[in-house]
Amino acid sequence: MPLVEQLSREMGISTATALFHGHAPRPVHPVLAPLFRRGGLPRGEIVAMTGPQSLSCALATIAEATTEQKWCAGIGLGEPAVSSIADLGVDLDHFVNVVTPAQDWLRVASILIESFDILVVDPGYQPSAGEQARLLAKVRERRISLISLAPAKGSTEQIEITDTRWSGTEHGRGRLRSCQVVARSQTGVHRFLLPGPDGTPAEVPARTVPTPVPAPMPRRTRPVVRSVS
Amino acid sequence: MSADPALELPLPDRVDPDRTLVLTVPDWSAVAVAAEHDLDPRTPVVVLHGGRVIAADAFARSAGVILGIGRRAAQLRCPEARVVIWDEEADNRHFSAGVGALEELVARFTLLSPGTLAIPLGSLRHGYADEPSAVEALISALVSETGWEFFPGIADTVFAAVLAARQARRVEPGATRRFLAAQPIHSLEYAGAEYAELIDVFGHLGLRTLGDLAALDARDVTSRFGELGRRAHDLAGGRGRTPLHDHVRTEQFGVELGLDTPTTRSDTLGFLTRQLAADLLAKVRRHGLVCTQITIELRAAGGQSSTRTWRIDDMSETAIADRLRWQAEGWLAGSSQSGRSQTGSSRSGAGGSGSDSHRRRHPGAEDLPDPGPDPEDFAEEGVIALSLVAAELTTALGATKSLFDENTGQVTHTLERLQGLFGPDAVLVPGLQGGWDPAETNLWTPWQQTATPERNPRAPWPGALRAPRPTTVEHLPVDVLTADGRPVGARPAGLEAEPRTIRFPAGGTEAIADYSGSWPIESGWWDPAHSTYRTRLQVVTESGQALLLSKENGQWYLTGRYC
Repeated sequence: MPLVEQLSREMGISTATALFHGHAPRPVHPVLAPLFRRGGLPRGEIVAMTGPQSLSCALATIAEATTEQKWCAGIGLGEPAVSSIADLGVDLDHFVNVVTPAQDWLRVASILIESFDILVVDPGYQPSAGEQARLLAKVRERRISLISLAPAKGSTEQIEITDTRWSGTEHGRGRLRSCQVVARSQTGVHRFLLPGPDGTPAEVPARTVPTPVPAPMPRRTRPVVRSVS
Repeated sequence: MSADPALELPLPDRVDPDRTLVLTVPDWSAVAVAAEHDLDPRTPVVVLHGGRVIAADAFARSAGVILGIGRRAAQLRCPEARVVIWDEEADNRHFSAGVGALEELVARFTLLSPGTLAIPLGSLRHGYADEPSAVEALISALVSETGWEFFPGIADTVFAAVLAARQARRVEPGATRRFLAAQPIHSLEYAGAEYAELIDVFGHLGLRTLGDLAALDARDVTSRFGELGRRAHDLAGGRGRTPLHDHVRTEQFGVELGLDTPTTRSDTLGFLTRQLAADLLAKVRRHGLVCTQITIELRAAGGQSSTRTWRIDDMSETAIADRLRWQAEGWLAGSSQSGRSQTGSSRSGAGGSGSDSHRRRHPGAEDLPDPGPDPEDFAEEGVIALSLVAAELTTALGATKSLFDENTGQVTHTLERLQGLFGPDAVLVPGLQGGWDPAETNLWTPWQQTATPERNPRAPWPGALRAPRPTTVEHLPVDVLTADGRPVGARPAGLEAEPRTIRFPAGGTEAIADYSGSWPIESGWWDPAHSTYRTRLQVVTESGQALLLSKENGQWYLTGRYC
């Protein structure tokens, strides 16, 4: 029996790419894609997003998946503003907010893992190493994406927003227009607008980039400026 | 009632099942408004929505008022006209009250929209000799009952009949395709608001009439415009096969149960409900209907009551009993807490989610002196009566789930489990309603409960906050101070002084690096109960955090946080 056939019979793997395909990351907004090592929100892994504007960043990350009818739940987020959730592009029909006591977050998450695709969690407490390991095993088994808004042990990607700069207020003559954030992840340091002028993530307009940036890019223009960290 | 053999046009025995009579009241919104405000029938009426005229009665139109013009233009053309803002609720209310007369006359009918109703002609075959006499009898009955003018339209599909009614026409059997082909493409707007964007695109593509659209190949239309385009193509070709939801009679399906002794035990209530719910479902089923929403009312011995409407996908006795149990637990727990705090005793953690909210069993409550019978504290006595009412009824076909609703069953199951553990209010689904600030537009509804917006989302909200909007909503009194430590005052023209520091109630302060212009909202000054005046301000603190502040009654509040 050829090896390929043997694999497909015994392990349910039809092609070599199927091995990786099952773990294909979820698509995200093109501006946010460079933050992730594989260009999208990984499945079966924990992503930590920390720093100011991290809730906006998490909601913008899940937006694309909810429009593809993937179910997403928020745990411990307080009372989010629905208008901003909608602005960031999240499909309201596939988002639920779970309001439970902070010390119950792990129990709630373990129930939601059964059927949800993405969880955005602001953990109420740091779980013990054993609980953490079991959560991670469950996340890996169900291949869900878990975004933690606090540093989490066992997270494979860490996105930290290090600087935010709001613009538009002009000392009493304007209103908030956009926020330029600087985010550090395993792929380097990225600079983009979150939220942009229309509430969604956007690229930094070329003229307001404070530092001179090497303009020519080998491939298609990337939405963010990279530098080696 | 028997058919007169002398008549020329007997209704054929085999009527096309889709052949429909549509009755429409011209300028319905104007008629409804006149009824609502009790206007003299000779007063010209103009109805505005979003600053544009959406309906005008015959008097106003003969004076030159046309749809789509602004308020000033309408008043210029017809100065004596009464200009009224559109009221969706009055529109619906008056119409459903008026067509009640029809329930006596025909077996089946459907309310398409306020002012328009459809009657399948097949259902009139046995009562009337031919189409004209049926229409005449129905209209004269309706007119004598309501006093409104009705335009009839008959065609082979509902959509065509709606168009025919606008011209008060009867389309001969089989001639519907020809009738539709001559209609302009923007007639599609009568099929629903979702076609509005297609109409523009079709116009740009040079499709001027429905006939042009129907002449295209169905597969091409589907691949370019998707499901909506396919439906538009079907409508234009006279193939609309959408089954209409029949108007369900106003008869109420409800059951009630009075308890001999009041109880606070939710498991007892759940047990009693199961039998009651089975009775209700059997009653509904006997009428060939399916119940998709249910209203549960609990009454306490003291006369207080709690009413909630639940949407349940797979309605069963157990599902109803679960909802009732949750509702009772939440209600009794909430009332016992407020009742306790009134008597001044300490609140021992009842922890809202416990399956047994009986207070006397709680060790913390044991050593307290019995406060005696307190009329406010009805949680002590418990529930004395339950009633279940089928809130939304539909035909069995209408309740069928689509194959394409991805894993909703599993999600529903998980969320119901969470609701069972933490109470129904633990799982909230987002929605939007009208309002100026994010706190007002937020509409979080417990999973599977019907959302009830308090403010109209489609009404204009001048001065509403625009994107970017805060991510979380808070309501925290704060102090906004000037450089020399005095509070910052706000006037309609702007701030009195430059804000420099913000002080939080917990004691921390933060310097303000930058701030926006302030903008006031004044609304409801004509009604003291709804009067609102507040000033909003966005600030950026030194640490780079953006906050939304609002000043109301002389106090600054932190109302939103960008995070």
